[in-house]
Amino acid sequence: MRKVIKFLTFVFLLGSQFSYADDSYTELSEKISIAGYIKDASTGEALIGATVYIREIQGGTTTNMYGFYSVTLERGTYTIEFRYIGFLTVTKEITLDKNTEINIELTEDTQQLEEVIVIGKTNTNVRRIDMSVNKLDIKTIEKIPALLGEVDIIQSLQRLPGVSSVGEGAAGFNVRGGSVGQNLVLQDEAPIYNSSHLLGFFSVFNPDAVTDVKLYKGGIPARYGGRISSVLDIRLKDGNNKRFGAQGGIGTIFSRLTVEAPIVKNKGSFLIAGRRSYIDVFAKLFTDVLSEGAQLYFYDLTLKANYDIGKKDKIFLSGYLGRDVFKFDANQGFSWGNNTATLRWNHIFNDRLFSNMNFIISDYDYSLAFGEDDLDRFEWKSKIRTFSFKPNLTFFVNTNNIWDFGAELNYYIFTPANAIGVSNGESTDISLPLKYAFEWSLYFNNEVNFGDQFGLQYGLRGSGYSYIGPGYIYEFETIIPGQRQNLVSETRVEGREVIQNYFNLEPRISLKYQINQKNSIKASYNRLSQNIHLISNTTASNPLDVWVPGTNNIKPELANQYAFGYFKNFGVNNDYETSVEVYYRNTDNQIEYIDGADLLINQYLEGDLLFGIGRAYGLEFYVKKNTGKLNGWISYTLGRSELKVNSINNNEWYPTRFDQLHNLKITGFYDLNERWTFSASFSYISGTPTTFPTSRFQSQEYVVPYNYLSSRNNTRIPDYHRLDVSVILNGKKYKKNGKERKNRDYWVFGVYNAYARENPFSIYFSQGTDRPAAGEPVPTYGTQLAIIGTIIPAISYNFNF
Amino acid sequence: MKMIRFHYIAILLSMILIWGCEKNINPELPEAPPLTFVDAWITNKNEPQVIRLNETLPYFENSEFPGISGADVRITDNENNEYLFIESEITEGEYTWTPPSDTETFGKIGNQYTLTISYDNTILESASVMNRVPEIDSISFRFEEGNSFFPDSYFAQVYAVDPLGPGDTYWIKAYKNGVYLNKPDEINIAYDAAFSAGSVVDGITFIQPIRDGINPFEQDENDEFLSPYAPGDSVYVEIHSISNFAFYYLTQVRVQIDRPGGFAELFATPLSNVVTNVVDVTNNEPLIGFFNVAAVSSKANWLDPGNLPVE
Repeated sequence: MRKVIKFLTFVFLLGSQFSYADDSYTELSEKISIAGYIKDASTGEALIGATVYIREIQGGTTTNMYGFYSVTLERGTYTIEFRYIGFLTVTKEITLDKNTEINIELTEDTQQLEEVIVIGKTNTNVRRIDMSVNKLDIKTIEKIPALLGEVDIIQSLQRLPGVSSVGEGAAGFNVRGGSVGQNLVLQDEAPIYNSSHLLGFFSVFNPDAVTDVKLYKGGIPARYGGRISSVLDIRLKDGNNKRFGAQGGIGTIFSRLTVEAPIVKNKGSFLIAGRRSYIDVFAKLFTDVLSEGAQLYFYDLTLKANYDIGKKDKIFLSGYLGRDVFKFDANQGFSWGNNTATLRWNHIFNDRLFSNMNFIISDYDYSLAFGEDDLDRFEWKSKIRTFSFKPNLTFFVNTNNIWDFGAELNYYIFTPANAIGVSNGESTDISLPLKYAFEWSLYFNNEVNFGDQFGLQYGLRGSGYSYIGPGYIYEFETIIPGQRQNLVSETRVEGREVIQNYFNLEPRISLKYQINQKNSIKASYNRLSQNIHLISNTTASNPLDVWVPGTNNIKPELANQYAFGYFKNFGVNNDYETSVEVYYRNTDNQIEYIDGADLLINQYLEGDLLFGIGRAYGLEFYVKKNTGKLNGWISYTLGRSELKVNSINNNEWYPTRFDQLHNLKITGFYDLNERWTFSASFSYISGTPTTFPTSRFQSQEYVVPYNYLSSRNNTRIPDYHRLDVSVILNGKKYKKNGKERKNRDYWVFGVYNAYARENPFSIYFSQGTDRPAAGEPVPTYGTQLAIIGTIIPAISYNFNF
Repeated sequence: MKMIRFHYIAILLSMILIWGCEKNINPELPEAPPLTFVDAWITNKNEPQVIRLNETLPYFENSEFPGISGADVRITDNENNEYLFIESEITEGEYTWTPPSDTETFGKIGNQYTLTISYDNTILESASVMNRVPEIDSISFRFEEGNSFFPDSYFAQVYAVDPLGPGDTYWIKAYKNGVYLNKPDEINIAYDAAFSAGSVVDGITFIQPIRDGINPFEQDENDEFLSPYAPGDSVYVEIHSISNFAFYYLTQVRVQIDRPGGFAELFATPLSNVVTNVVDVTNNEPLIGFFNVAAVSSKANWLDPGNLPVE
């Protein structure tokens, strides 16, 4: 740690040295900035990551997450290109004699669509400092064959190197050997605690409302914190501020409709996007299963509005409401959902100083209810609520030097169980006390480029955390490692006293050395800490997993990740992008569970937890073909993810449930002509680890499996492989009279699991379903379960106008 | 949560997601030498009490467990009573203590018991207490009209009140027409009046899932559910007081063996060895074994449709 700080200090000095040199230079020749927003001319949407290229200096910058850019140059005349993939480049000749605001609107390159040739890409991947970052374009996501034809962001992410999941139906995703709860998932900066609909088959993000998807697997900038594995940053569209627009679709599962329109033309707009499953509506026609109040549906509603107050201020309001409801009659069932609200204020202090401020409320809750009448019922509600305030300042010193400063304040309220049990008319309140926590972070991040060749991004984040009252302090002692801990004391804390403080320093650094226009090498290190934890001991993560705060017993999870990468592009137009990355991650205070842990409504939950260390390492290959009729990419990851916990697996390293040695994903598109696109995707993943028994013993009437070696995850289920294909048929572009149609539509026909492989999800051992005969040996079986074991066809119709 | 609840959800889910499939497989399992195991669940019922001393078999080997004979098996209590278990002449590894008369039973509520098994220079030991057990107040039946999952059905319910004071644990065993309900999902255990130590539900009537836990859910050859009870059926219920350790043990056993498959697998926890309470005091060798001394209360009833409460 000390070494890291020393090194950082050195780098910091180097950086300021550099800026200093720059400043002294300023005195000789005055520096002038141009700044502004780059937007889509047809919708007014901010373009994230658009390039501003100044020919004279052969360099430039890109727009930030809000479409804002700032470039500082010497007095003079410049030719500036504003570029964004899929859009026509705008070139401007500008004579700079004073600070200038230039807002640019780019027009979509429809020519490109007609010829179905993706134009050459820039060498961004080689040039940029960041590594281990994947961006998915919504247009690409829409083309990937999907389960039941439902365009899905989380499933699409799994086509990238280093990203996986334990199988169909499992909630969430795993990044570089991290667990589901170690991913920070943000939608318009609001944390999303559960990203799944229908267990884990679909994700909660409505693709029609999303404009940008970025996954940070490593080299995570200092402005992000709170989870130790990855950051998924999803940005919502602002809404069309030019004209009314609508898009939607009818799929196998969802019907979707998105409406967007200006509030005041060019100044403000809104967007409302809704999706709802309609299987229940359908089912009612055919069966009476859903009579008697039974319900089964899920929906989400995404809302966004923005308004420009003057030239320097923009206000955004985003909201998200999502819910899954499963009821088997009027009183019984369960439901879960995320609700978030973000108020964002962007302010331009001057051409070089940009601020972004967020106020966020995010909730995740679930509830269960059982019992057929009021005399006997059980109700349980659980919730995590977060209030956040995130101010951030970006200071554009010049095109080669950008500073970020910011803070993040989070206040958490945990409701582990608001529960009541009524038995024979007598009711018992089994609610657990609320828990409170406060988290604060301060950070800075500096991105400096030393000419074209060297780039450096470094930062430091200080994360403080307080577990606060009112609440209980539990103290436990270990009697036998690996078994339930003994409660030693239970102390009530009244008032807002601090029960436990934690503080962590998180240095982050990324380096780039660009060998030439086509080749670069990069390295990164980051340290991350996590104070709130997802508690899950089941095969797959599921909606009933609980989030718990760090306490005197649960220390912050910590991770150090080191990554090294080589980036190389081929072809005149950067037709091929390739990269190889290696990573190594070690983690501390990883949570495991005693055998037979009681995780639901248990005030002594902490006594059922075990803590250990983890390590994950791997090699990621990525080849992407950007141009031509046939395009797509191949991802391959060779990885390991292991844990070492006292009392599990004889205290030796064992693979995590999501350890997958090989993970190969091929995703390809063939754009035949402007009407037909063919897509195929293939996945090959090593079987996930599982534990097989060796022996059987009898306990009373039951035959119980026993593993003589006490090993965990001692074997693997068979490998997983699957091919999906789909065909997109675009509606005719022109009417019969030759006029261009205003509205566009397309059909998607797809087949999931094309060769109907019964991919195993798990193998389990049981004594069979028949009643064992008294006195006879009990037969036992091994069963292999495939969640999806057949071809699943799908069809959907989509439109926009 | 009681798994039956998830069954409903699994059924619902399978309505939409009918793509899943399961097949029996015979994977090769790692080889392991046999291990001694002890099965010692003693009650105060007036019947012979049996302790079994056997060796484990490979998981898929569907045959009688080899018995260990020639052991000295005895239980002593804190009042210096000694109960000697005599080896069966028919079944190897089976040791029995038979009450000397029709009125005598094993032990006394509140006493502490020590099990000692000696064989081949090995001494195994364990301890347990005979805890209190509530009387069964009643066993009743109710009729429910059928729905899409279930036919018109008669359900039985057992009523008993957990005595005041947290920390009582029970195993509720049910017999339908004299047949013990012995499927893994029929393991019905209670911590006080509900399910867990961490959420205290004390001193009230057993909660509904426990009261209802005496119903067998069986399917006919067309996989249609059958009414748990039919007119004329008898039901006999026993409540066994068990130690907290035994409750924890049975919880784990249920996690390991109650595998309904399908979507419940998403909620399943990894296979792991259950923690047991018999130890090898001489060699500290690994060993499986559970010892519990239970007091038992019981009641019986039969289903007379003319005698149902009117709802």
